[in-house]
Amino acid sequence: MVNQFVTVLENRKVNGQFYKLIFRCRALAKHAKPGQFVNLLVNVSYDPFLRRPFSFYRTIGDRIEILYEVLGRGTALLANKKKGEALKVMGPLGRGFKRIVKNKKRILVGGGIGVPPLVFLGERTVVDYFLIGAKSYKEVLPAKELSRVHGKILYSTNDGSYGAKGYVTGLLEQLLRKESPQSLFIQTCGPRPMVQAVMEIARQRGIEGEVSLDETMACGVGACLGCVVETREGWVPSCTHGPVFAFKELR
Amino acid sequence: MTPDLTTKIKHLEFRNPVAVASGTFGTKDEYASYMDYEQLGAIITKTITVQPRQGNPMPRVCETVGGMLNAIGLQNKGLEDFLEDKIPYFEKIRTPLIVNIAGESLDDFRILAETLDGYKNVVKAIEINLSCPNVEVGGATFMRKKERILSVVKTVRQETDLITFAKLSPELGDLNEIAGLLIREGVDGLSLINTLKGMAVDIEKRCFRLANKTGGLSGPAIRPVALRYVYEIKKAYKIPVIASGGIMTASDALEYLLVGADLVAVGTANFIDPHATGNILCGILDYCRRYRIARLDDLRGTLIDIDQ
Repeated sequence: MVNQFVTVLENRKVNGQFYKLIFRCRALAKHAKPGQFVNLLVNVSYDPFLRRPFSFYRTIGDRIEILYEVLGRGTALLANKKKGEALKVMGPLGRGFKRIVKNKKRILVGGGIGVPPLVFLGERTVVDYFLIGAKSYKEVLPAKELSRVHGKILYSTNDGSYGAKGYVTGLLEQLLRKESPQSLFIQTCGPRPMVQAVMEIARQRGIEGEVSLDETMACGVGACLGCVVETREGWVPSCTHGPVFAFKELR
Repeated sequence: MTPDLTTKIKHLEFRNPVAVASGTFGTKDEYASYMDYEQLGAIITKTITVQPRQGNPMPRVCETVGGMLNAIGLQNKGLEDFLEDKIPYFEKIRTPLIVNIAGESLDDFRILAETLDGYKNVVKAIEINLSCPNVEVGGATFMRKKERILSVVKTVRQETDLITFAKLSPELGDLNEIAGLLIREGVDGLSLINTLKGMAVDIEKRCFRLANKTGGLSGPAIRPVALRYVYEIKKAYKIPVIASGGIMTASDALEYLLVGADLVAVGTANFIDPHATGNILCGILDYCRRYRIARLDDLRGTLIDIDQ
């Protein structure tokens, strides 16, 4: 496992809402799988104190890309990191998405800052549909950010400023009208209400799938038990048993 | 020449004083892909209880200035799982294993002590958690009654001659007095200190940050408080002490060693950096070389008054 300092190669806004961080780390890039994450120490400091977990957005050669949104003090400091500055990275951590879904059609459903790990997955596998929900056009990724995804991409925005108007679950329901549930496999990541709605739709129709859950974390290695998720087998740390869980593992 | 960091507590020998604090290092191989467990002076497990515990509701952790609050609630898979799954793992590791235990009744403590006594080839000492701030029964609030603490220690003492530490928190009351009573009860050492009960509020959502409302504060924020207790207890009694409270760097660890700590347990720092213990160990060695200290015992407890 990697736990080392890296140098920022690039760190800039890609749209009205998200930033892209790029750094080089051969060992991390070699092993990173879609859905796994890196625990990033923005500054060696006592405030903020803990690391921050980020899913991999993409790896190209030994370059690693992270897509993030400024939500708190940690990400605000991260957004100020300039080219050449240092960060400490630890990973790859967690269990990623299934890459082989046999004869099923793969549908990715992403929302907000839950989209990045699905982009990575969509670039490494073949997807039939990639449904992306955004609050507004501000969150819509530039076309070239999605150009390597192998599959059809459909957008919805809450305010209708881009793609279909409404929630991404609307797109999903529309799609499901013409597909047989047994032939599908859904992989989803996004805000909690969104992924819950997606899982509910899947449960009603008997569609299998996986969800990547976002819990506050400390250690990232299953030691502190601060990020647990309730599964059929009890409370398990999402950093090691997840962050990707099969729908059927969850209650 | 490599300074000799060997630390002895009773008949038990530790190759160095750098241990990992209970609850911050898991119960098995959680950190094994990041570091060599045999570099550690001692490993203290996360608390084991007789029955499995599912712990407290989420959210359980939150970051604070210079530290974090946790209210995990002693989640663990119970004694049986520990014996079947964890003991065989530690059998292969030469670093002394200290098992942290907690119970909801005297009977629990009796079962834990009696059972662990049968695994002396692996378990080298017991640390009794008398001060978890996050559980109702068996936690710091419950233990506040002096008689309860004393009867727990007495019970464990009756069941095993394993070296036994009592982990205390200022939440329990006058630590100086409690330490004295525990020593009389036959405890071999003290672990100072457990987390301090604290709280944090999310002003946007106008709610508690932890589902448990309160949690145990750990990290450098509590270090000066912990240091003071280690100092006072070491000054008052000739009792081995495992010091813990916000040790992030070698200089933090050296502060504790200078006031007399026998072992220094690195806790929350493990979450920030799995290499923390290794870095701390290197830093202690560098310090000893710089001041030509051949043996750590020549340094331990050598705090002097400020020159007037």
